[in-house]
Amino acid sequence: MVKTLISIFITLGLLVGISAYELYHVKETFAIFHEALESLYYKTENERASHEDGKIVRKIWVREKRDLHIWIPHTIIENIDYQLNELLGYLYEYDYQDALPKIEILLEISEFIPQTYSLSLENIL
Amino acid sequence: MALIFIRTIIVFGVLLLVMRLMGKRQIGEMQPYEFVITLIIAELACIPMSDISIPLLYGITAMVSVYLAHQIICLIDLKFTKARSVLSGTPSIVINKNGIDDTQLKKNNLNVSDLLESLRGAGYFSFDCVDYALYEAGGSFSALPKQNYEQIQSSLPVIIVNEGKFDQKNVSLTGKDEEYFLQILKGQGCDELKKVLVMTVDGNGNAYCQAKGKKYRSFKLNWEKNAW
Repeated sequence: MVKTLISIFITLGLLVGISAYELYHVKETFAIFHEALESLYYKTENERASHEDGKIVRKIWVREKRDLHIWIPHTIIENIDYQLNELLGYLYEYDYQDALPKIEILLEISEFIPQTYSLSLENIL
Repeated sequence: MALIFIRTIIVFGVLLLVMRLMGKRQIGEMQPYEFVITLIIAELACIPMSDISIPLLYGITAMVSVYLAHQIICLIDLKFTKARSVLSGTPSIVINKNGIDDTQLKKNNLNVSDLLESLRGAGYFSFDCVDYALYEAGGSFSALPKQNYEQIQSSLPVIIVNEGKFDQKNVSLTGKDEEYFLQILKGQGCDELKKVLVMTVDGNGNAYCQAKGKKYRSFKLNWEKNAW
């Protein structure tokens, strides 16, 4: 009886703790990535962005994505990698017209993913 | 993780409800919630193992959630008897002093053939051999035999009428026809075949008959020789 109660509280605590950390961590990670993308977007819009700027954003992403593998499906990370590599290609060629939509996609993804982890009815169902 | 936890608990609850509604025939020898856990755990272990795109933590969280649900149900099972009957069910007495309880059988999605099969599994070959028989909450079968029940089991009984219908194969096995048995049933006060829950006869002519909602009767048929 006491053992069962202890195990319930430990398990519940563990699950609530991990869930809270996951929500916070995913949100924070994508907030950092989103911020980096936003500054790249303004530079690209003003046609001042270079390949090096893109590489900085990728460096931030590579640093952050290591932990993300624990929390989100690997296919989502692969998709961001793919979009980011394409963006770097456009920036290398100074093709701002094609780079802007790519950044918009990445901005959208970085906003959308943390929302899919929030506790809402549509996510549960 | 919170989403997986909530989703696992919802699936667990729905599966438990479905298993409880299905009755004892689907459970086997486990409590309904144990069966649900077995069903879920097997799947949860496989998906993150085989699909490398899913983080391992997803499977682990779901399994830990199932463990938590199990512990909570165990606690309820121990402390609250009323909740226990809702979660795990109660034993169903399917044979009593009056014979077969048709209502209890229907409640558990069972029929007379299933009951006879369970009886045979427990070592009793005739409905007449036992005073009481019940399906436990976990689906296992228990029976309280009559005194000297071995003497009744001298030949294998076969079902002649099963829930208002003749079993043609068994009727022909006896070497008699339907009319013969209809006359016997009339003699026992069963005018309509559809009102007969069950009638069995063994090779020595020992018959067991029960009309729906009535007490059973056992009697001996005047057969010249043993039929089988």
